[in-house]
Amino acid sequence: MDYSKAFAISASGMTLERTRVEVASLNLANANTVAGSDGKLYQPLRVVARTAFGDAVTQGLAGPAVMVEPTLQSPRMVYEPGHPMANARGFVAYAGVDSATEMVTLMGAMRAYEANVAAMNTSRNMALKALEIGANA
Amino acid sequence: MSTEAIAAVAPAALQNLSAPLPVPLELGASAGAASSPSTGFSDLVTQGLQQVNQQLLGSQTDLQQLAVGNVQNLHQIMIRLEESKLSFQLMMQVRNRLLESYQDVMKMQL
Repeated sequence: MDYSKAFAISASGMTLERTRVEVASLNLANANTVAGSDGKLYQPLRVVARTAFGDAVTQGLAGPAVMVEPTLQSPRMVYEPGHPMANARGFVAYAGVDSATEMVTLMGAMRAYEANVAAMNTSRNMALKALEIGANA
Repeated sequence: MSTEAIAAVAPAALQNLSAPLPVPLELGASAGAASSPSTGFSDLVTQGLQQVNQQLLGSQTDLQQLAVGNVQNLHQIMIRLEESKLSFQLMMQVRNRLLESYQDVMKMQL
């Protein structure tokens, strides 16, 4: 069935966008965290999607290769002298998450997901229309 | 792709073009004499029905997983549902055409 390839291509795009939303949500959830008991601060993550080339894409076999990598964002230093995690100068290190960037990522991922759904619906409608050929003639 | 690349490919492609040509001619000549092991139309229909049934069963399993809440990604399930729906529609259209032609034959005046 040919339309299943189109579906698979759209599905790979949807998977990528969903991963982006998940990573952005994880970053936002950890935006106001300080270092854990092991002293390690939350490192903001970023989705790196490498495009796939060649016949694999046209056959619907390979979507973009999705990797989640930590960004090397420096921690956000906030002056809170009474905080139990404050350093000698009274600064607390929070995870270096830029909430505006994460919100924009969320919006963009949702729009791209919608675009993938629209593409899938178009190929589905085309297949359904093709089944109407010769109907009640 | 440059013209050199095309020129490099062209002789092989031409050979490929010229080589398989006698084969269809032979097939056309010997089609009446020795028929290849052909699958009957009923086999074809049975196969198609089985495929559609498999897909419907698969989507039923997917829906059960969804109802239980054991779902990895929603869009895969939706896409599989759409696929099984499309193949079911295709099966229905084939059945409609078959019935139509059967009724045409039955209505034939003798």
